[in-house]
Amino acid sequence: MIKKPNIHYCKRCLYPAVSVNLSFNREGVCSACLLQEEMNSLTPAFWEQREAKWKELVTQAKATSESNYDCVVPVSGGKDSYFQVDKAIEYGLKPLLVTYHGNNYLPEGQRNLDRMRSKFGADHIVMGPSIEVLKKLNESCFRLMGDMNWHCHAGIKIFPMQVAVRFKIPLVLWGEITWSVAGMFDMNDYVQYNKRTVYEHDLRGYTIKDIVEKTPGVNEKDLAWLRMPSDHEFADSKTIGLYVGNFFDWNPNKHTEEMIEKYDFELSEQPFERTYRRMSNLDDMHENGIHDYMKFIKFGYGRATDHSSKDVRSGYFDREKALEMVEKYDHVKPRKDLNRWLEYVGMSEEEFDHIADTFRSPKVWWIKDNQWHKQTPRGDVKSYGQVNLSESETEIYFKE
Amino acid sequence: MLKKRIIPVILLRDGKIVQSRRFSRYNILGNPTPAVERISNWMSDELIYIDITDPEDDFAEAADLEVLVQKVAEKCSVPLTFGGGIRDLRSARELLRLGADKITLNTAAFDNPQLIREIATEFGSQCVVVSIDAKPTENGQYEVFKGGHAHTGVSPVEHARAVEKLGAGEILINSIQRDGTGSGFDIDLINRVVNAVSVPVIALGGAGKWEDFAAVLSETDACAVAAANIFQHSENSVHECRKYLFEKEYPVRRHQALSNDNHIL
Repeated sequence: MIKKPNIHYCKRCLYPAVSVNLSFNREGVCSACLLQEEMNSLTPAFWEQREAKWKELVTQAKATSESNYDCVVPVSGGKDSYFQVDKAIEYGLKPLLVTYHGNNYLPEGQRNLDRMRSKFGADHIVMGPSIEVLKKLNESCFRLMGDMNWHCHAGIKIFPMQVAVRFKIPLVLWGEITWSVAGMFDMNDYVQYNKRTVYEHDLRGYTIKDIVEKTPGVNEKDLAWLRMPSDHEFADSKTIGLYVGNFFDWNPNKHTEEMIEKYDFELSEQPFERTYRRMSNLDDMHENGIHDYMKFIKFGYGRATDHSSKDVRSGYFDREKALEMVEKYDHVKPRKDLNRWLEYVGMSEEEFDHIADTFRSPKVWWIKDNQWHKQTPRGDVKSYGQVNLSESETEIYFKE
Repeated sequence: MLKKRIIPVILLRDGKIVQSRRFSRYNILGNPTPAVERISNWMSDELIYIDITDPEDDFAEAADLEVLVQKVAEKCSVPLTFGGGIRDLRSARELLRLGADKITLNTAAFDNPQLIREIATEFGSQCVVVSIDAKPTENGQYEVFKGGHAHTGVSPVEHARAVEKLGAGEILINSIQRDGTGSGFDIDLINRVVNAVSVPVIALGGAGKWEDFAAVLSETDACAVAAANIFQHSENSVHECRKYLFEKEYPVRRHQALSNDNHIL
């Protein structure tokens, strides 16, 4: 017996219960909001202590570094990258910038990336995998997990670690504690980069072997940039990955303003099709485009929910304004972006729509009059386009 | 001298690994199995899985321990303890048959204490671990909370003695107040229990740095130190903990070289 989906939305922001690793308290407030509340109550004295801890770690890294560099900063060229490098330099670390280049940069994003070398006077390694291999990965990962951008998440999380281990660089400075988005970790956990979380959350539980098996014409050598340093190599190079977000208050809107003023950071010239923010994801057009559209297809919410929920939590928006943004953007099929991708990998839109529908969660979507339906954060029900599945493929969904 | 054991604990709630904070707040970490191989490769002495799904939460769905134990046993080369919601001999028997080496009981030690005797009789005392969750009281004593939440009016010392008499082979003592705080183990609580029984005691609750493990080993006669959250926060965590203790000359097995495998997990 298939039950009609009943999505619980956070009473404070707009996060749905289907969001990864989210939990709710008895008042219906989500773990991400509760964490933010805890963060907001932190005093300047708290941040001074954090800074002291940061200084201690930085001093230790400089003292023990056998390399010409004190830290690797993985950079996409975004506002957070700028903030991370800015912090490294402010505290006297010599950084090596490392980029995974997934070939999806917007022109503004590429200019921001290129500008880092001159603005920060830092050395920069860019790893750009073969375009041929990238096209194949885009297609196979879309078919396999509904995520054409898997290579980006995997590449950015692994390649900088390879570089750090190879050059025996003691620190890798990551940015926001991204895994705290749903409240997985607390501030006091001082969580460090760890393979389990990367494997499970960034790599979605797929190894190189799995990907090679599912991607015709790609072998393990083609994916050398995805080989994770062994436990032994990590211990040998004494490399650890820290999150700058653990030591400094993380406020994306404020960071962006600072980075524009100090380093001429550029925002997107064109508005995005699926969100109102113009400062995020300039390194990857699909991240705010079809990659994010797939999140809506799978779980019924998209980046407008992410961005507006964060903005509610940081007091930038009220919930009503967030609802408006979600209603305006979350369901939008990004025309321009989709066309680029279909041409890039050579797929028809019909096939795209069919494969996309196979990833819809039966916990979110149901079928009525051959249309997909789901609950909205306001509590009513709306339809979101036709079903592109065969009769047998619809068996797992509730039908009204 | 007999070596002291280092034991990671994995807490499950609603089918996911969680971090617990004072038995009242939880951070969900992810799926129950990816952690296993890493923890096993890091030379843990044992591994304890406890399902702490709230039995009163209608929306929660406890993990199927019988399915899980098989998956875990396949990837794990260290002794495995399973617990959470075990109420009868049949389920204990099944978990042991499928790959668990020990069973841990908590609520059943109050609701059906004879179960301790039954398991011990059929499989031996070494197979039954009774976990005890305790909290300080206002008058400087401690009280045990059944399933971590229900008052019992019983002190951990009384309870530990009672379950030892029934055949419990080990006691896992956990501090509700220190749980998930990283503020160090409750040495007083551990000492009370260790001094009350002759079976091995495993200390749990409060680990926030490797020094906290050392404190248990130097200030109590516990046979093992266990922790949950801290082993999820950094790379090669159990290995680093062991290395720290070994180099400070605590009686733990020596750490060995780490894996050279370049494939993730």
